[in-house]
Amino acid sequence: MKYCFQVIPELCTGCRTCELACAFKYAKDGKPGRSRIYPLAHAKDQYVPVVCFQCDDAACVRACMFDALRRNDETGAVELDKERCVKCEACVAACPFGCALTDTDQNEIVKCDLCQGDPVCARFCPEAALKYVEIED
Amino acid sequence: MKIDSIAKLDKWRKEIQTKQKAIKTKILICLGPGCLAGGSDKILKEFQTILKKKKIKDVLVESVKKTGCHGFCARGPMVIIEPLGIFYSKVKKVHVKDIIEKTLQKGEIIEKLLYKDPDTDKIYKEWRKIPFYARQQKIALRNVGQIDPDEITDYIVNGGYSALAKILKGMKPDEVIDQVSKSGLRGRGGAGFSTGRKWVTCAKAEENPHYVLCNGDEGDPGAFMDRCIMEGDPHTVLEGMIICAYAVGSQEGYIYVREEYPLAVVNLQKAIDDARKFGLLGDNILGTDLCFDLKISKGGGAFVCGESSALMRSVAGEIGEPRAKYVRSVLKGLHDKPTVLNNVETFANIPVIIEKGADWFAAIGTKKSTGTKAFSLAGKIKNTGLIEVPMGIKLKEIIYDIGGGINDNRKFKAVQTGGPSGGCLPADKLDLEVDFDTLADNGSMMGSGGMVVMDDRTCMVDVSRYFLNFLVEESCGKCVPCREGLFQLHKLNEKICEGKGTEDELKLMENLSKTIISGSLCGLGQSGPNPFLSTIMYFRDEYEAHVKKQECPGGVCKKLITYKINDDCNGCMACLSVCAASAITGKKKEQHTIDEVKCDRCGACYAVCNINAIDII
Amino acid sequence: MVKLQINGKTVEAREGEMLLAVMQRMGIEVPTQCHHEAIEPTGNCRLCMVEITKKNWDGWKKCVTSCLYPVEEGLIVETHNDKLFEIRKTILDLQLARSPHSDYVAKMASEYGLEKSSYPVEPQGDDCIMCYACTRICDVLGKSAIAPTMRGHEKIVAGPFGEAPPDCIGCLSCAFICPTDHIKWNDKGNTRTIWDKKFKLIKCKKCGKKTITREFADYLIEKRELPSEYFDTCDICKRQETADTMGALVVKAREATI
Ligand SMILES: Cc1cc2nc3c(=O)[nH]c(=O)nc-3n(C[C@H](O)[C@H](O)[C@H](O)COP(=O)(O)O)c2cc1C
Ligand code: SF4
Repeated sequence: MKYCFQVIPELCTGCRTCELACAFKYAKDGKPGRSRIYPLAHAKDQYVPVVCFQCDDAACVRACMFDALRRNDETGAVELDKERCVKCEACVAACPFGCALTDTDQNEIVKCDLCQGDPVCARFCPEAALKYVEIED
Repeated sequence: MKIDSIAKLDKWRKEIQTKQKAIKTKILICLGPGCLAGGSDKILKEFQTILKKKKIKDVLVESVKKTGCHGFCARGPMVIIEPLGIFYSKVKKVHVKDIIEKTLQKGEIIEKLLYKDPDTDKIYKEWRKIPFYARQQKIALRNVGQIDPDEITDYIVNGGYSALAKILKGMKPDEVIDQVSKSGLRGRGGAGFSTGRKWVTCAKAEENPHYVLCNGDEGDPGAFMDRCIMEGDPHTVLEGMIICAYAVGSQEGYIYVREEYPLAVVNLQKAIDDARKFGLLGDNILGTDLCFDLKISKGGGAFVCGESSALMRSVAGEIGEPRAKYVRSVLKGLHDKPTVLNNVETFANIPVIIEKGADWFAAIGTKKSTGTKAFSLAGKIKNTGLIEVPMGIKLKEIIYDIGGGINDNRKFKAVQTGGPSGGCLPADKLDLEVDFDTLADNGSMMGSGGMVVMDDRTCMVDVSRYFLNFLVEESCGKCVPCREGLFQLHKLNEKICEGKGTEDELKLMENLSKTIISGSLCGLGQSGPNPFLSTIMYFRDEYEAHVKKQECPGGVCKKLITYKINDDCNGCMACLSVCAASAITGKKKEQHTIDEVKCDRCGACYAVCNINAIDII
Repeated sequence: MVKLQINGKTVEAREGEMLLAVMQRMGIEVPTQCHHEAIEPTGNCRLCMVEITKKNWDGWKKCVTSCLYPVEEGLIVETHNDKLFEIRKTILDLQLARSPHSDYVAKMASEYGLEKSSYPVEPQGDDCIMCYACTRICDVLGKSAIAPTMRGHEKIVAGPFGEAPPDCIGCLSCAFICPTDHIKWNDKGNTRTIWDKKFKLIKCKKCGKKTITREFADYLIEKRELPSEYFDTCDICKRQETADTMGALVVKAREATI
């Protein structure tokens, strides 16, 4: 069985619940802005939740010289192996979507890993603009 | 001329024999390190120049042969006239004319150049009879000092490459290994690992290619056995390696030589070039399917590069640092491929073992340490030099019978064996039989064969400090126990020499040694505390004198001694003139005095005074 | 799979796996300094030593570094005993003398009850513990710009001939991996300095935020075949770009349906 993370910008109201949920799960003190998902306005009152696309041929994976970014075949996510990561920020510089970043508070690289197959953001999105759905192979 | 069959090799050998028979008299001039330092190259030239102009019956210019180290370095430069074996020692250039005119022309012996035993006053005409040589048995060094290392023909006429011919004629690789195993040969590089076992493992390894490496790093200060073999008989190393290559199925080999041995590099290269030219190296050796070639790899001369994994990395062009490995290098060695690494002397034994058979070899020496071992004798001993003796010989036989005893007939105190990380054995161990296991059981080791003899004017605490200092400088610095541990051990040792050590620190040193031994990455660290451990094992009283009484019983540690001139002084002024610190005052024919403050305890006055008017307190 | 015994427990492990990995999986803690997942083990610090034996070794035991020792069938491993404690403590004690100013060393040593070194301290001793993590990470990067040079107690890590390493690309991996923060660097304005070498930092073409060095970016572009424009903007501006692009698509789609 395979899953796919879907973003439906049309449904997003910019309420930032996803961001908070993510931040509470991962960042120090639940600081937003350190989350892995960013509902950003592209026009007045129109939002797009920007989050890692888990690209097939991911720039971050290519950029990492230390093999710290690898795909988890079960969840489909590109995951960061913290034990291997030296925080050189190659992935941050390389991701064309800006979806890998440095958490300076915690001194670590931050990147969406789909919460190991249970993304909190999707769970908390009141508008169902974020979905983690089963797909056919 | 390519020698492309075994028959041709035999024919060639016969031809050389006939040719060399014409040269009835041979004048062997040792160009080993000791004699060379005494100017033996000039003696050689002088012989050649004079003989070019003179016609003497049975003597040709070709009669003059330069050879590798003949062994008796204390008596060098030496000239040996064969076939009579006349042994002229301490020869100078001015003597050459005499030797030619008297000995070569008229058959007269020049007595003052002969060796006179200082103890018995007996004069020896023939070198083989001299006690220094009489007790020796030469296998690895069989040709060193006897042949011209540059001439492949000299090697061949002495039976060279006949072992190679023998295996190619009718021995399978496993039969060769079988012989080596049965001979009981153990590695001469220090660890004493069974050579046969090493070869079997490599031969059986499935991965390819297989490499054959020769360890000619010889980093032990004062040791020069391997150097003398490489310089004096390079072909025997090649032959040993080719036989090994045949046995383990290798096509490529390297000889690792330190850069400080330029002559060894030159002579080995000449040997390799010659062997290639005559078809003894390269493709289809002696017309058979055997293909094997050799290169020299020069090392920067770090002691640790002699360690197997460091050596292999260095040969591969990487940093010569040991690599922690729990996979043996026989299986994953050079370029991570199966590799046989043996010492120079180990390889030098191989042709003889093949030629004379495993049983012959195994009958020499002791049961578990067969054959012979080369040693370099150094220190306060009369007959310094290079020797080869059967295993199992007693220490005292080496030191007194061969070595002639202690300089100035002083008292023997200790002998240090095994190089810098070896150990010191005291007088009550002189009856020990020298072999791998006995030495190890007594807190020392065989090592590569250095032997430094010390007399009663040696301070064992200072000896430990000296060797630790060497090891601190040679530690590669990769792992903590060796880098920091030996460093601190040496510092604490130094403190004791200065009389500032404490008993607690002695205990700390003993504990630290344990961690260095079991914690270090390579053999250097693992054996690093040996100088300290073996001296404190046998000479604890000396350590205690330093620590408890601030005294140096050996009279060596500068901070703990003072030189005083006693009433015997006759005012000869000898001491006054050698004192670099101008610490000695006194009028001619009156007793002199030493200013303790100015004196920097160099000991020059003590050495120069020949009426024992200076005391060390 | 291989079966072995660690501290009396029988465990299974993959062939070729190192003892340390198996121990970590079992939750057994041994101190390490030079170990890091991204680099090849070298066994420099010797702290992860364990004692091994086998049934047929007649009680003979051997100390090995667990980071480098591959699992073996029937191996019996002890990770904590008096001897190992003594080795670890002595190593840290020695480091305390060598690097007296390192908090990292002090903290590890204090876990072994060491507040000050038993050995004469070197007041000028720096914080480098010679773990080679920096040189090894640089090797993995494919640059090998720095290497251990000299030997013994004088050993240091440096560029060739002790000069600024020509091959360094200023990625800071060495500084980041250094457990004792011994490798110093700084970013001032557009310039990064490390190993006495200066680098230009890329400025985000939209907001001006500094990202990585030009040399590092160029290396990644060439080595990993990445489009160079990925490196022109910072992550924040790239996120906004992503929102703008996706937003535009949504608007377009909406207009199309109307
Ligand atoms: C620090 C260190 C230095 C060594 N130096 C030498 C050396 O100079 N020559 C040598 O033959 N073996 C040396 N060895 C031993 C080699 O590692 C290796 O055991 C030997 O070359 C194997 O050959 P063998 O079996 O013929 O003795 C050294 C070992 C250590 C640990
Ligand atoms: S024991 Fe000494 S020489 Fe050997 S690797 Fe460690 S530091 Fe280097």
